[in-house]
Amino acid sequence: MVELIFLTPLVAGILAFFLPKSLGRWLLVGTGALHLILSLFLWNNRPEAVFNRYFSVTPEGLLSLLVISFLFFLISIYAVSYLKERELQAENVFTGFMLLFLSTMSMVTVSDHIMVFWIAIEATTLASAPLIYTHRSSASLEATWKYVLICSVGIAMALLGSVLITLSMDIGNVNAVLSFSAITGVAGKLDPFWLKAGFIFILVGYGTKMGLAPMHTWLPDAHSEAPGPASALFSGVLLNCAYLGIFKTNKIMHAAGLGDFSGIILMVFGLMSILAAATFIIRQNEYKRMLAYSSIENMGIIAFGTGIGGIGVYGAVICMIHHSLIKSSLFLSAGNILLGYGNRLIKNTGGLITLMPKTFLAFFAGFAGISGFPPFGIFIGELFIILGAFRGKHYAMAGIFILSLCVIFAGFANQVMKISFDHSKATIRLKEKPGLVWPQYVLLLTSLALCISIPDTVHQTIIDAISAIGGGF
Amino acid sequence: MSILQVDTILTLVLLSVLFSFGSSRLPRLISVVGFQGIVVSLVPLFVGHDMTAGGIVFTLATLAIRGIIIPMSIYKAINRVNIKREVEPIVGYHASIICGLLLIVAATWISRQLNIPAIKDYTLLFPTAMALLVTGMFLLMARRNAIAMVLGYIMMENGIYLLGTTISVRARHIVEFGILLDILAGVMIMAVILQNIKQTFDDVDTAHLRSLKE
Repeated sequence: MVELIFLTPLVAGILAFFLPKSLGRWLLVGTGALHLILSLFLWNNRPEAVFNRYFSVTPEGLLSLLVISFLFFLISIYAVSYLKERELQAENVFTGFMLLFLSTMSMVTVSDHIMVFWIAIEATTLASAPLIYTHRSSASLEATWKYVLICSVGIAMALLGSVLITLSMDIGNVNAVLSFSAITGVAGKLDPFWLKAGFIFILVGYGTKMGLAPMHTWLPDAHSEAPGPASALFSGVLLNCAYLGIFKTNKIMHAAGLGDFSGIILMVFGLMSILAAATFIIRQNEYKRMLAYSSIENMGIIAFGTGIGGIGVYGAVICMIHHSLIKSSLFLSAGNILLGYGNRLIKNTGGLITLMPKTFLAFFAGFAGISGFPPFGIFIGELFIILGAFRGKHYAMAGIFILSLCVIFAGFANQVMKISFDHSKATIRLKEKPGLVWPQYVLLLTSLALCISIPDTVHQTIIDAISAIGGGF
Repeated sequence: MSILQVDTILTLVLLSVLFSFGSSRLPRLISVVGFQGIVVSLVPLFVGHDMTAGGIVFTLATLAIRGIIIPMSIYKAINRVNIKREVEPIVGYHASIICGLLLIVAATWISRQLNIPAIKDYTLLFPTAMALLVTGMFLLMARRNAIAMVLGYIMMENGIYLLGTTISVRARHIVEFGILLDILAGVMIMAVILQNIKQTFDDVDTAHLRSLKE
């Protein structure tokens, strides 16, 4: 039953390669809707998987799955309007790989077996690489090449990490299924040295995919070259999927009593990512790359919060959910800007408020949300993380954290002001149809609603997920 | 007896690492990596865990894929699209070989400090695996030619395969399966991209791929 969640989009994806264009578009939306229904069903019933050695429903997986489903549904609606505006050379390939991408990411969220999880992450790379190459330009080719090569090396590191964890089981004489949940149960008996080594390799491996500095170099290229709906998926959910691997391994570390070790490493990698984002975002001259660096920043924030523990982990999960909602809306709006101005450079845009008022509303609100203005959830998440850092007496790190956030805000705000209010002579080639703006509005309104009152079931699931890694109030 | 065999095979692997660092032309590098693939796939047959019939078949299939099919397809690809044959080093050949030797020595020294029960009889196993891993990465960074980079990546995967199939009985088949999938899919997609790089830039020198920065 659980397996349907990734088998459905898999079948739909294969079908999409052979269907005519118009049918393919509706298949995209239809599968998105069906997937959302299936996810809600999983959320409510939490059934047992048929292959329960390999798959299971976990609270952290469910959170990611629901975000993936919800985002994909809205992005698919946007994609239909987008595809009407922008003719693609091979639209079947695009819709097909979008669906396969959905399938592989759903598989990541329900995988429990270490190797199946690894295979699923590998599959996300393969399913998403053709999406980056959609426009068939030399720059997109370069971005795809970089993406496949860097992520393959990263994935190889994660495989090595997984092997080292099995080694720590052998040395500790533990006999258990090779799944995250089973290993967490017997973590106390694992050999600590090899478990630590395994954690480091897994962190570097999945961290590459998540976009943690200094392994982030593929991310800005891939995000800026992929077409709007695909970059929204990349930033909104792919990065979370990779984070899930680190999260689950961190659970093992905590169960083995090595939580302090993993915490420090996560905090250092988190801070490095935030600092890297701060240095690059200030002098960025392309808006999609700017958004990509902001994703690196947010992944850094999430890693940092996870490392702190306690209330910080709760903040990290809040940040993760809201980052997905807001950042995907921003990438969709950026897609509109690209369609409208036909240019990636910030200096060739301007006057968004008068030229494309509806997109402006979504873009500016998204900017306010992502930089942590009070009515949106990122603000609460960051506040919790800072509180957690002070409670844990990490004053110096908290100081660097706050300072970098300020720098990033300043750089980001400067560019957004240019895009929105500068004088521009550009002629806009896009009519802002409802399908091109409403998905963004819905995403932002959801983020707002979740911030005002978070449903009990969601709150409880977050608490269930993070209690195993020392999170909670 | 079998310990001696394993160490002999592993010596060949280490030699192939040094050869690959000194190779200046692609066909040579491809055959060195192909040879390495065959030799590395043979090791699990000699390391003392029990071998089922299925396991042997699987090992032979791995051998065929990484030792023959992949090198052949890369070789065919470079012949068809008429790619430049030099590997275009960033670090020179002699410097590379010295680096390779130093890396092997370092790997041996480090593995002396570690104690892994499953393979403590095989003195060269862990050093070789680690050396493959690091030298593969070195090749990836020190060559500008895209195909040489893919070969570096395959070398890295060889190292992980060697480690994964020998240090832990439990992980073995899963690792074999995983790596096979990885190599097959990864290398195939890289090959497709290479074709496109060739068409777009008329060459596979990754120096062309430098326009995206920051």
